[in-house]
Amino acid sequence: MLIRLENISKYFPGTVALKDVTLELKGGEIHGLLGQNGAGKSTLVKIIYGIYQPDSGNIYFNGNKVLFKSPRDARMYGIVLVHQELTLIPHLTVLENIALLGSLYNAPLYRKFQEDEFFDKATKMFEELKVDIDPHARVMELRASEKMLTQLIAALIMDARVLLLDEPTSPLVKEEVENLFEILKNLKGRGLVIVFITHRLEEAFEICDKITILRNGIKVGTFDAKELKLEDAIKMMLGTEVEGPSTTRKITNLTKEEQPLLIIEGLSTMPSKMGEIPLKRIDLEVYRGEVLVVFGLLGAGKTELGKSLIGLQRMKTGRIIFEGKQVDIKSPVDARRLGIIYLPEDRRNEGLFLGLSVLHNATISSLERFSKFFFIKSKHETTEALNYFRRLNVIMPSLTDSVSKLSGGNQQKVLLSRALLAKPKLIVLDEPTIGIDVGAKIEIRRLVYELAKKEGISVLWLTSDVDEALAVADRIAIIYDGEIKYIVPNVNLTRDALTSMLHN
Amino acid sequence: MKGESRTNAKFKSIIDMLSRSEILRPTMPLLALLIIASLIVPEKFWSVSNAKIVLLQVTPLAAIATGEMLVILTGGIDLTPGSALGFTAMISALTYLSTNNFYLSLIVAILSGLIIGVLNGLLVTKFKIFSFVATLAGLAIWRALTLFISGGKLIYGLQPYEIFALSLGNLIPLGFVMIILVETVIYLLLKKTVFGRYLYAIGSNEEAVRLSGVKADLVKLIAFTLAGLMYGFGGILTIGMAGLAVDPWTGNGFELNAIASCVMGGIMLTGGVGSPVGAFLGSLLLTLLNNILILMGYTEFYIRQIITATVLILAATALSRGLKYVK
Repeated sequence: MLIRLENISKYFPGTVALKDVTLELKGGEIHGLLGQNGAGKSTLVKIIYGIYQPDSGNIYFNGNKVLFKSPRDARMYGIVLVHQELTLIPHLTVLENIALLGSLYNAPLYRKFQEDEFFDKATKMFEELKVDIDPHARVMELRASEKMLTQLIAALIMDARVLLLDEPTSPLVKEEVENLFEILKNLKGRGLVIVFITHRLEEAFEICDKITILRNGIKVGTFDAKELKLEDAIKMMLGTEVEGPSTTRKITNLTKEEQPLLIIEGLSTMPSKMGEIPLKRIDLEVYRGEVLVVFGLLGAGKTELGKSLIGLQRMKTGRIIFEGKQVDIKSPVDARRLGIIYLPEDRRNEGLFLGLSVLHNATISSLERFSKFFFIKSKHETTEALNYFRRLNVIMPSLTDSVSKLSGGNQQKVLLSRALLAKPKLIVLDEPTIGIDVGAKIEIRRLVYELAKKEGISVLWLTSDVDEALAVADRIAIIYDGEIKYIVPNVNLTRDALTSMLHN
Repeated sequence: MKGESRTNAKFKSIIDMLSRSEILRPTMPLLALLIIASLIVPEKFWSVSNAKIVLLQVTPLAAIATGEMLVILTGGIDLTPGSALGFTAMISALTYLSTNNFYLSLIVAILSGLIIGVLNGLLVTKFKIFSFVATLAGLAIWRALTLFISGGKLIYGLQPYEIFALSLGNLIPLGFVMIILVETVIYLLLKKTVFGRYLYAIGSNEEAVRLSGVKADLVKLIAFTLAGLMYGFGGILTIGMAGLAVDPWTGNGFELNAIASCVMGGIMLTGGVGSPVGAFLGSLLLTLLNNILILMGYTEFYIRQIITATVLILAATALSRGLKYVK
C-alpha cells in the first residue's frame, strides 16, 4: 500500500466538493475514478497533488501522515498530475518542458541547462514508449494528444511513483489510446500507483484493476473492475436508472423537395492559424430542421468547417448560400445577423465568461431583443432565459451566481441557451458533449435533437464520437483530412459501418 | 472537527460577501481613515473649510479615475489621463484667453478629450497595439503638445472657471455635484445597458465575446472614447480647483493616481470587475489620505508619496489576499 486517504472533505463556497472520502491506492494497480462532472474526481486528485488542501481528513504516504501545501511538496514524494490544462509552458520546446517538469523544477536557479543530458533521456523514453514527437518543437505547436504524452514522459523522467491522470484519453484517437494503455500496463508492472480519471467508461473497464465511483462528492464504493458491470457502474454514477445511448433518436422523414437552408459549394480554405487544417472542396447541404452530423477524428477539419461559417477561416474558393442567397460572412457578427450561431469546443477559453453570472452568460448574444434604447429590460431578459433554462434543465444555485460554480454539463447547457436565445436558424455545435459526464451527455443530445425538431432549427453537429453521431444525426457526413468523404443517411447504420468509413 | 469546518465556511462566506460587494470594499478603509483623522487631528479635519478643500480636490481625480476604470474594465490600461488632463486644461485655457468665450473653451476641452480617447481606442482596436504601449506614446505626446502650445509658461487669468469651485449651501462645490451626476450616469450605463454588459463581458473573456457575434472592437473604442471625455471633464475641473491657472505640468503623474484610485476601489486590473462607485471611493480615499497627512504636518511631498504608496500596497495586498482566501 502506498497512499491512503482518510475521511477527506473539501468545501467550496456554496458546495460540498468531497465528503468523508476514504480511499486506498496501491502500487502496481491502475485505479479508475468514475463519476459525473462535479462528482469530485478532479478535486480528489488535486488534493493528492497538493493544489487543494483538504478541509478535514488525512493523507498517509507509506503509513506516514503527510500534508502537501503545494504541488512542489507532492512532487517531492514522486506524485505527478497529468492534466490537459496544466503544467506545460507553451513557448518552450518539448525538451525544455520535459527538463523543467522532470527534474529542473527543484534545481537551483543558477543550474546550467544542459540540453544533451535531457535529449538522451527523452529520446530513450520516446523510443521506449513508441512516441513520435519532435523534441525541439515548441509546445504551443503540438496537438493536444502530444501535449499529454509530453507531460507523461516528463513525469516518467523524474521517476514518478504516483501518476494521477485526469482525462488523459479525451484528446486521443483510438490508436493513441491503445498505445497509451500499453504504456500504462508497462508502468503498472514497475509498481507505480496509477490513478485514472475518464469519461469513457469502456476504457476504465479495459485498463483499470480497481474502480472507485464518486457521486456528488461522496464515495459510492470501490470495486474490482472484473466483477463490476458497466450498467451497474452507470447506475451508481447517476444514482438513477438511465436509458442506454443511441436510443433517443426518432427517425423522421425530411422533406427533401424544399430548398436547403445552407449550401456550401466547393469550399476550400487556407489555414489562418498554426495547427489548422485546410478544407478541400467541401460540398454540403443542410436542410431546415435537420441535424447534420459531421463526423471525423481530431484534426480532420471539423472545427475549421464550423469556423468557416462564422467568418473565421480564410476562404480560397467556393461559396456559401444561406436561405437561397449567396452570403459573404466576414465575422461572427455577420453570422449572427444571418442567424448562424457557433458554439466552440473550448468552452472555458472561447465560450464562457467565468467571472459573470449565469444569466449574463446566457443572454450575451441576444441582448438587442431585451433592450429598448440600449437599456436592458431585466424582467424580459430573466423570463426568457429562465424559459430556456427550464427546457434544457439547467441546474444552478441561482441566476446571479457565477457560471464557474456550475458543472461542465450545466455550463454547456447555459451556452446552448445562449445560442437558442439568439433565435438562430442554424446552430453549429463543435463537440458539444466533450468532457461532460454520461448522464448530461445523453440528456443534451436528446434535448438538442428535440428542440431542433420542434423549433425547426438546423444543427450542424461536429463530433468525433461514434455513439453521438448515431444518436442524433439525420444524416452523417464523414470528414477526413479536410475532405468530406461520404454523406450517408442515418438509417440502419452500425458503429462498425461508420468507423470503417473513417478508415477507408 | 465538523463544527470547526462549519464556522470556517461561515467565516468564508462573510469574507466572500465583503470582497464581492463593490461598495463595501473601499468603504471599510474609508471609515478607518475617518476614525484615524478624528483621533489625531479632530479640530482641523472636521471643519467646513477642510471639507470644502477635500470635496474640491477629489473632483478632477474622480473624473480621471472613472475614465481609467472604463478602460481597466475591458482588461486594458490607460496611461494618458495625466497628460490628457493637462492638455485639455491648457487648450481650454488658451481658447478662453484668445476668444473670451467661456462656453467655447469648455467645449474645446471636452472635444479634445474625446479626440484623445478615440485615438487611444483606434490604436488599440484597429492597430492591435497593447493598450499599455499605445497609451504610453500618448502620455509623452500630449504632455509635449501641452508644453508646445503654452510655450512652457503658466497661464492665468481664468476667472469664469471659478464657477466649478463655487459652493452650494456654503459647503458643496458645484464641480462635486457635477461629478456625482456624471458618476451616476456612468453607473447606469454600466449596469443597465447593453454597452455595459458587453464591457464587463469583454473584461471577462474577450474571445468569447467575439465568437458570440458581438462587435467587441466597437465596444472597446467607445470605452476609450468615454474615458477621453472624462479626462476632458477632469481638465476643466482642475482649473477651477487649482487657483484659476494652468501650469504646463498640470496633471503630471496623475495617471498613477488614477490607477491607484481604481485599485483601492476594488477594480481588478485583469478586467471585468469593478464599478464607478469603486473608482469614486478610491479617489476619495487617496484624497483624504493626502489631506490628513497634510493636516498632520507632513507637508513635504516625498513623505506623503511614500505613505500613499505604502497604503496602496496594503490595499492591493488586502484585496488579492481576500480574493485568494475566498477562492
